[in-house]
Amino acid sequence: QGAVCGSLRVFRSPARHGYAVEGSPFIPTRLACAASQYYGIAGSGTLLILEETELGIALVKSCEWSDGLFDVAWSETNENVLAAGGGDGSLQLWDSSSNHSAPLRVAREHTQEVYSVHWSQTRGENLLVSGSWDQTAKVWDPTLSKSLTTLKGHEGVIYSTVWSPHIPGCFASASGDGTLRVWDIKSAACRLAIPAHKSEILSCDWCKYDEHMVVTGAVDCSVCVWDLRNPRQPVCQPLVGHSYAIRRVKFSPFSRTVLASCSYDFSVRFWDYSSSQPLLETVEHHSEFVCGVDFSLHTPNQDQLLVLWTETLEPCTHRRRSTGKYKGWFNLQYQKLTLWTLKQHSPGVS
Amino acid sequence: MHRVKVISGHLSSYPPQGGNRKCNINHCRARAAVSGPEDVVVVHGRRTAIGKAKRGLFKVWSFKPHSNSVVCANVSLSPRCLLTLTNITVCLTLAGNVLQPGAGAVMARIAHFLSEFPETVPVYTVNRQCSSGLQALFNIAGAIKSGSIDLGLACGVESMSLQEMGNPGDLSPRLVDFEKARACVVPMGITSENVAERFGISREKQDAFAVSSHQKADRAQRSGRFEAEIVPVVTRVTDAEGTESTVTVLKDEGVRPSTTLEGLGKLRAAFRADGSTTAGNSSQVSDGAAALLLGRRSAVEALGLPVLGVLRASAVVGVPPDMMGIGPAYAIPAALEQAGLIVADIDVFEINEAFASQAVYCVEKLGLPLDRVNPNGGAIALGHPLGCTGARMAVTLLHELQRMGRRGYGVVSMCIGTGMGAAAVFEYPGP
Repeated sequence: QGAVCGSLRVFRSPARHGYAVEGSPFIPTRLACAASQYYGIAGSGTLLILEETELGIALVKSCEWSDGLFDVAWSETNENVLAAGGGDGSLQLWDSSSNHSAPLRVAREHTQEVYSVHWSQTRGENLLVSGSWDQTAKVWDPTLSKSLTTLKGHEGVIYSTVWSPHIPGCFASASGDGTLRVWDIKSAACRLAIPAHKSEILSCDWCKYDEHMVVTGAVDCSVCVWDLRNPRQPVCQPLVGHSYAIRRVKFSPFSRTVLASCSYDFSVRFWDYSSSQPLLETVEHHSEFVCGVDFSLHTPNQDQLLVLWTETLEPCTHRRRSTGKYKGWFNLQYQKLTLWTLKQHSPGVS
Repeated sequence: MHRVKVISGHLSSYPPQGGNRKCNINHCRARAAVSGPEDVVVVHGRRTAIGKAKRGLFKVWSFKPHSNSVVCANVSLSPRCLLTLTNITVCLTLAGNVLQPGAGAVMARIAHFLSEFPETVPVYTVNRQCSSGLQALFNIAGAIKSGSIDLGLACGVESMSLQEMGNPGDLSPRLVDFEKARACVVPMGITSENVAERFGISREKQDAFAVSSHQKADRAQRSGRFEAEIVPVVTRVTDAEGTESTVTVLKDEGVRPSTTLEGLGKLRAAFRADGSTTAGNSSQVSDGAAALLLGRRSAVEALGLPVLGVLRASAVVGVPPDMMGIGPAYAIPAALEQAGLIVADIDVFEINEAFASQAVYCVEKLGLPLDRVNPNGGAIALGHPLGCTGARMAVTLLHELQRMGRRGYGVVSMCIGTGMGAAAVFEYPGP
């Protein structure tokens, strides 16, 4: 099912639409993809464990679930364990190394679709957070035995919950009520609510180098970067370019100001919000809604020529010298997951 | 259906601010994009360079009885094609052909054997004038759709060095009694004058279009854009002293980068003393061949072959015979409607430049953005080997879409002598 296309690797999962993709923090070539039947509107879901190989992307294990799966998170302590959130309001803990078809554990507390799940990033803490369309976020111990806290406050469905990589016990959430909220789990309270967009906010992420910076992507087609110390306005002009709602945003693990966004407009865009021309690159190789994007933690390809979708004989309009760059993992609806490397490009091969 | 409501809320509540709306879910792009195992897909396409008829490097063919076969053989033997053909059985091949006697039916079978196809592979030829190469592709697609074959090679071949144009054969004397029938024998040049006159396409517009065709083709040639699609053909030439030598034909011969508006302005009208159609703003008389391997998606995928393009629509429509050049202006909307697309969805249009008059008319009538029309030049610069053209344009189009590097749509269209237009919509699925 995998095929090499130049530097682009494609994995197709017939009859499953990709919703989220996450690279393993332990195994550089391993990734997980949460997928659903029928655009996640109806039908069942599949968690795909994939391995990047010389020849393409190979399927390691596929775990079937009775409802659509919308998000996945790798454990930060065990290389084989991962958690997924589903359309039936359940969270499941899966073991990618076992031969069992059933999850290790299923937690059913949310009453509606679980749209996000994230494993804590700070040292000394090993927790899970989930965000649901029932307008609550729940914090869980890593065995999913019982939720430790339920956080209420959002007045719309929650689309995204992400732990701060710096501040223990702190996570951000993005909601259909148009606010970005920052939560403190020790006091189980919302510390900050930013009316970040005048539309539904579908995704948020923390900067990995600055504990105050958060990015949001919304239905109004814009990406905004916020300094939590000054929540009245975004730190720069909204990043515009997408022509449909932004489905997911992620900060680069290698660069303070670089981030990626993917959208219902079928494209993935890379931005440097500190630059006067923030749009670094637009990648349009998907033919359906792009719902997930992730950076590989393991491949900080330094100082390479970034050539995309052009051939060497073309006028040099698309060639650009790129500084410390990344490798992107994208995933999309419509049965196709592509692994895209900015590292090399072989002219004439596609 | 809570989820449907939430997700459609993501898509409908905010129209994008300004900019071009590349993906519009409200019209039918999504419908056109539905892929299935029954799709007719193009695996691969190649062509020869196009030679000038009678004066070009391919002219020596005229000394050999089955010269077209040579071209066909060479195209078929292009490396990738050969690779695929040795592993599988092609069920049918077709050669579009216009001028050869009987549309070159015998010639095509001979070409098969020169190309080292096994005798078990059948062949036939088709003649739909200038669209023959595309019609060959439509016929293969139809045979795939009907389930009679899984894979087929659609070819277009023409040696205008070898045959004269303009002899329609024995016609019924009753044709004079019917206006439309009479119009079928109007010379092509006069149909061009008719289009220019009736729709007010000025000489300046025609010449400017011709100059841009040469410039685009020259740019494409110099930047090596055609290298991926052209198969080298080895042929023999005889110089003035009668010495024979072997040459490899790699480049289209008709492109004249030195063409200027002033230069074209000096040419005399070729078909009517007060006309505007000249040798400079008409297509060139040429030799050439092109071939595309088509298959049902399920069969193609089972063989592990790549997909270069998907045929999304094919349409042929009738127009008045004495203005046959307006064909694309009617065929393109018909094909787009079939595909559920609109003009704005199309990234590249390949419209045959039989005459600048009719090409300009079609572009203006449909409101096509000029930068998307024939980005690598057309028949005015490259040449118009009649039976080859349709297949040649499909090859050029698919390579251009591939070069753009993302999912996109393209249209191939041409007018057809005796009053018709043909159009096809292809989708490039992305790398």
